Amino acid sequence: MSERIFGIFLLLVSAAGIYIGWDLKAPISYEPVGPRAFPLLVFTLLGICSLGLMLSKRPATEWAPSPVLMRVGGMFLVVLAYALLFDKLGFVISTALMSVPLARLFGGNWKQSLIAGAGLGVVLFLLFDKLLDVVLPTGFWLKPLLG
Amino acid sequence: MEIISHLLDGFAVAGSPTNLMICLIGAFLGTVIGMLPGLGPINGVAILLPIAYAMKLPPESALILLAAVYSGCEFGGRISAILINVPGDAGAVMTTLDGYPMARKGLAGPALSISAVASFSGAIIATLGIVALAPILANWALAFGPAEYFALMVLALSCLGGLVGDSLLKAMVGVLIGLMISCVGIDANSGVYRYTFDLLHLSDGIPFIVVVIGLFAVSELMLMLQSHHGGAQAVEVTGRTMFNMKEFMLARWTILRSSVVGFFVGVLPGAGASIASAMTYSMERRMAGKDHCFGDGDVRGVAAPEAANNASAYGSLIPMLTLGVPGSGTTAVMIGALTLYNITPGPTLFQDQPVIVWGLIASLAISSVLLVLMNIPLVKVFVKFLQIPNWVLVPGVAAVSMVGVYAVHGTTFDLIVGTLLGGFGYLLRVMNFPMAPFILGFVLGDMMEQNLRRALSISNGEVSILFSSPISIGLWVAAIAMLVGPRLAKAFEARRNRLAQA
Repeated sequence: MSERIFGIFLLLVSAAGIYIGWDLKAPISYEPVGPRAFPLLVFTLLGICSLGLMLSKRPATEWAPSPVLMRVGGMFLVVLAYALLFDKLGFVISTALMSVPLARLFGGNWKQSLIAGAGLGVVLFLLFDKLLDVVLPTGFWLKPLLG
Repeated sequence: MEIISHLLDGFAVAGSPTNLMICLIGAFLGTVIGMLPGLGPINGVAILLPIAYAMKLPPESALILLAAVYSGCEFGGRISAILINVPGDAGAVMTTLDGYPMARKGLAGPALSISAVASFSGAIIATLGIVALAPILANWALAFGPAEYFALMVLALSCLGGLVGDSLLKAMVGVLIGLMISCVGIDANSGVYRYTFDLLHLSDGIPFIVVVIGLFAVSELMLMLQSHHGGAQAVEVTGRTMFNMKEFMLARWTILRSSVVGFFVGVLPGAGASIASAMTYSMERRMAGKDHCFGDGDVRGVAAPEAANNASAYGSLIPMLTLGVPGSGTTAVMIGALTLYNITPGPTLFQDQPVIVWGLIASLAISSVLLVLMNIPLVKVFVKFLQIPNWVLVPGVAAVSMVGVYAVHGTTFDLIVGTLLGGFGYLLRVMNFPMAPFILGFVLGDMMEQNLRRALSISNGEVSILFSSPISIGLWVAAIAMLVGPRLAKAFEARRNRLAQA
């Protein structure tokens, strides 16, 4: 079932891709093949393959039981929030905030998770920003402290 | 003897104190990354690449780092395979079959050391193979025009369809989604914005690192949570750490044969370490006749897949270096590394950038020596890394992945795109879509389109140019054979079985 739904989704994507791609024309053309040919080819083939996905008979996808899926979904949201706040809160705080719930999900108790969060935030910041010269966001709060 | 002087130059580059140090660090990190289940060469190389770039390493050093990590991963995968029966990377799946039984019998030390020697032999034989084969192939490929290149890329993609997993349809969908993502961004030839939805951040397309880390690292962590259970207990390494003479004599021809076969399998685009190790394992099992204990802790069952695994990993560098067309996920990531440094891989690389090519080849040899020296005595140190609990490891990997994405442009937009791709990748992987086609499609997309358009510009729009030279016809025939061949073989076998039953 999930493959069929995915097939329908891909079919819609390819239809949209062809619709948008149709208008991709270069104002002045120097070459026989313009900017739209390749995308149109790809989306057309994708559309054909998505029909195949919708029609083919296959063993059903085995999804994890729903409590597990909830946890995976929760983890996705935590990482998404991490991505959103990474720049604003700075690396140390955002990493600590992300690490605690992730550590909890992976079987750490509260004490372990808090240690993991604080430790990873600080240690990785020092490692990358100070030792390896990879510039990380400090966030609005750390900048004045670092001078 | 031009090659020897080039090779010596390469050793001079790779042997400089800084690069030697980088090689050592890379080999160590690689072993750890390869050993940890869930992290493999693709994630390792993908996460370290932007960091190497942000550290402003010169291109040859960055490539040496990545090559060392790559070799290290192939060495590391076996440790977890033998000790906890969980392959650290895809190539080590076969190693669990005999490695874990050996460990259970108290022979973990010999299993680890003989597989280290096998890995080393695979690596060295494949390095020699690269030295012998790559310049010839590169020379030959100089004659390729855009039409031949286009056909070659179709061949590379169809090899994936023929060999990866069970479903051709799923591999094709993967390739097409990869090609689709590669279309996003400004079109270099005409300046037209394609599929950018007026978002400024999309005008350069979606950066390669973002796609790789999203599809591989983020989705991998989600899969890890799905299959998370308490954590496996490692078998302790007790008793002797070295194999004895009898074990070595039993395995020596296995090691040599598997190294050679693994190398050639690796050179083929699409066929990677997992196919090479599975092939040599069953080959050795058949050749052993009656006198074996395969599946029950036979040294040859550990030696064969490990030798093949390393040899094929190195072999797959050949199409990448000589043709600029990656044959595997990890080499696709390395192509991305080269393009970050504005180096176009391909046949001209050997002439234009000999320092980089030969430095890379020399560093492969150096890192295998370092790895075998490190792996046998330090195995107990590496085993300690297996005891890192997931509640530290997973948030750590998530943070390092984000650092990698952030290092490219430093925008929140990239981080969000990477995370969303991670969620998408998770869904696809649960539905059993193989992931290598995505990344190959994505990497090859731009090259394919450019070569197609160039070819058609030469012929003034005449499509027949794609099939006009003997080389391109040969490549098209090979592509079709790769798609149809395995299926025909399967159909014949089914027919034969039916006839045999009747």
